[in-house]
Amino acid sequence: MDVVLADRLQFAFTIMFHYLFPIGTMGIAPFIAWYNFRALTTGDRLCFQAARFWTKIFAVNFAIGVVTGIPMEFQFGTNWAAFSAKTGSVIGQPLMMEGVYAFFLESVFLGVLLYGRERVSPALYTASAIVVWLGAWLSGFFIVVVDAWMQHPVGYSIGPGGRIQLRDLAALVFSPFAAWQFAHVVTGAIVAGGFILAGVGAYYLLAKRDVEFGREFVRTGVLAALVSSALVIFPTGDRNSDNVTAYQPIKLAAMEGLFKSRHGAPLAIIGMPDVAGRTLIDPVFAPDLLSFLAYGNFRANVAGLTSYATALWPPVELTYYAYHVMVGLGTIFIAVAAGAAFLLWRRRLFATPLALWALLLIMPFPYIASEAGWVVAEVGRQPWIVYGLMKTQTAASPNVVTGETIFTLIGFVGMYFLLGVLFLFLTLREIGIGPADEPAPGGVPAAGLGAEA
Amino acid sequence: MTSLAAFCLIGGMLSVYTLLDGYDLGAAAISPFLTKTRAERSAVVESIGPFWSGNEVWLVAAGAALFALFPQAYAVSFSGFYLPFIVVLWLLMFRGIAIELREHLPGVIWMDFWDAAFSVSSALLILLFGVALGNLVRGLQLDANGYFLGTFSSLLNPYAAAVGVLAVVALAQHGLAYVAERVDGPLGERALRHVGRLWWLVFVAYLAVTAATVAERRSDLASSPLSIVASLAALGALGAVWWFAGRRRAAPAFLASASFLAGLLVAAAATMYPYLIRPYPGAAGGLTIFQASPPTATLALTLLISSVGLAAVIVYSAFVRRRMALKVTVHDDRSV
Ligand code: HDD
Ligand code: HEM
Ligand code: HEM
Repeated sequence: MDVVLADRLQFAFTIMFHYLFPIGTMGIAPFIAWYNFRALTTGDRLCFQAARFWTKIFAVNFAIGVVTGIPMEFQFGTNWAAFSAKTGSVIGQPLMMEGVYAFFLESVFLGVLLYGRERVSPALYTASAIVVWLGAWLSGFFIVVVDAWMQHPVGYSIGPGGRIQLRDLAALVFSPFAAWQFAHVVTGAIVAGGFILAGVGAYYLLAKRDVEFGREFVRTGVLAALVSSALVIFPTGDRNSDNVTAYQPIKLAAMEGLFKSRHGAPLAIIGMPDVAGRTLIDPVFAPDLLSFLAYGNFRANVAGLTSYATALWPPVELTYYAYHVMVGLGTIFIAVAAGAAFLLWRRRLFATPLALWALLLIMPFPYIASEAGWVVAEVGRQPWIVYGLMKTQTAASPNVVTGETIFTLIGFVGMYFLLGVLFLFLTLREIGIGPADEPAPGGVPAAGLGAEA
Repeated sequence: MTSLAAFCLIGGMLSVYTLLDGYDLGAAAISPFLTKTRAERSAVVESIGPFWSGNEVWLVAAGAALFALFPQAYAVSFSGFYLPFIVVLWLLMFRGIAIELREHLPGVIWMDFWDAAFSVSSALLILLFGVALGNLVRGLQLDANGYFLGTFSSLLNPYAAAVGVLAVVALAQHGLAYVAERVDGPLGERALRHVGRLWWLVFVAYLAVTAATVAERRSDLASSPLSIVASLAALGALGAVWWFAGRRRAAPAFLASASFLAGLLVAAAATMYPYLIRPYPGAAGGLTIFQASPPTATLALTLLISSVGLAAVIVYSAFVRRRMALKVTVHDDRSV
């Protein structure tokens, strides 16, 4: 195996594992802030205990997110030294801002959230919950700025020795590409957060325990999932597609499995790309729709893969399938959330086991959609590591050999497997214990209140 | 000028990391020798629980600042020490997981397991950090681009090993002083007595490393008077640790220990300057702060943004610490 391939495998594995946890953090933090805020303003016991309950789940998620994030931060240097040396003055900047402006905020105030209940005032406690939410989203924002720059480099100049230098920080941070990408990433995380709330609530309702909490979680979760599932498609997903169309037309062609350029290009709903034969096998098309989605005109010309040199093609199959998985799941989320919201409105949801089961079983799928989206973005960017400026093939560390990378990859796989098992076990355990055991405001023993409920 | 400021910023962030996470690591490493019951071990973990993650961010942010300010040095050093670096990452992971998850898993077996993971990974981390610092001060075998040429075993030279040992005993002392300050009752008092006992080891290690540094760097020590001054200041602070520990005053002993560490780090940085990565033995090559950095205007902007951010961090961290400053007590009923 060549060393670049080993590095790519290691990066793909470690980042995809890391990303599972930011989804949870960014998706659950707003709900913790919300429950704390309501507990503070209304003194409601239920909100108070709900906040405690989700904070515990958040803590496990956060701990694993932090420990898997730290290797990411240093992997640019260990595995991608040539890339780091060439682009560090640009991408180091948002990474540093992430550390200084987001990670500190999150970590310091999470300390308050986890250990400060009895030590600080309720107002400061609630403020900390809001700050943790802000910190989580800011972390996501700065890292997306880095990624958006790699997708669509702006605000740089080429310095001595071909090094890429930062010219305009504002252009980098306020790049519209980054803004839409971040909006899409965050709404994707709330889809996950909403369905997690609803799914855990559905579990309590189906198990006929903690029913009060079950109803609250299902109600809030379904509404959040509905709104965010809509936003993830329009405008954010749509605007991401526009950016890809404008700046990375080859990626667009690969996402859609469009080999030959044509006017009135159809949208492939299903079908299997056959790269050797330059065609889609067994396709189902929506005529002219791709032209419309890409250019707002049913007759517009969309360039196909064959109009570009094959050396510039990304891996077509992976990009194509990942894109279709994401979009297909996005459609399913809308359908499930809308159906559940309808039943909620008719006051039938809590008594419809089938719907509750659907909410329970859908929980893992927002994760799959988000991971698939990243595969579209990152694999579809190949062969470039920085689009149009630097090829992945030239980016790896010159003095690290394949054996070392494979050895450490095996180490990461083993370690992350154990972390994954631990994470599932601990989260399921907290869900099993449930919110009713949490101490209520003013230190009243929880058992008494639980009995009264 | 901006390059010097950038050097100081990164050195400063790494020093703050050492002072803060140093007590987390040191307390963890010394905990098996200090504590007698599970409840006492829990109290040690509880004393660092709310803060360790924020402390660790100083390392993450310093790494990112190195990336932004000296990309070449970031690339060369991290890839040059590929395996040791990945081992450090794994140990950091173990440490974090052990602290965060020990309260979540019921049962004494798990707790013992996490406590052992916590102490062993922390001790090894200190040792590796110390060895790394020793090698940086001593210098490395480099090729023309500044990439590391030597073997893994060449990193385990006697000088670096001595710095590693100094790091272990000095941070263990720092951790003990922290526990003495934070934990009430017999555990805190015992920690303070241990400071007094460990002190002699720190003192001997300090003398040995200082002598070895003079031997290694004889030729250019005269050109960095700051390193001599800082080293003597560190000695003074070490004396103050002994004095305050003997008088059973935990808070000043902790501050003195922090000053001791700061003095050592300033001395080390001063012997490095202007190198980020210096060649051994005194050959040409290596990366200085002037070669390895982006244009001045970019550097200045990065410095401005990070200093403003870090000033805010210091203010709100201090605020949070003040609000959270309750003494930890050992709960005997929790001795599960
Ligand atoms: C719950 C998650 C989720 C769902 C349902 C969708 N997406 Fe998505 N998508 C993501 C989560 C995501 C993501 C993980 O957040 C990505 C990865 C990189 C990024 O910017 O966002 C992404 C990437 C991504 C990209 C690639 C951006 C690039 O290459 O830079 C496009 C074009 C779209 N999305 C478009 C859509 C459309 C048209 C959807 C309509 C159903 C959709 N996404 C649903
Ligand atoms: C969490 C979301 C992300 C996921 C799931 C993800 C996924 C991937 C995958 C699957 C690859 C391998 C692509 C290939 O080699 O064919 C990759 C490569 C890479 N990504 Fe991402 N990525 C994410 C975010 C980021 C971000 C935020 C950055 C930058 C800060 C980044 C930088 C890179 C780099 C440097 C590579 C290696 C070079 C390359 O193969 O292009 N990624 N990523
Ligand atoms: C190569 C890319 C990435 C790097 C270098 C990276 C680095 C890190 C680091 C070092 C941490 C720990 C912070 C701490 O100590 O508190 C962390 C956590 C976090 N990361 Fe990443 N990360 C990457 C990808 C991503 C992506 C793509 C997102 C989201 C869009 C993200 C969002 C977060 C969030 C919200 C946290 C907070 C804690 C958590 O949820 O785990 N990261 N990351």
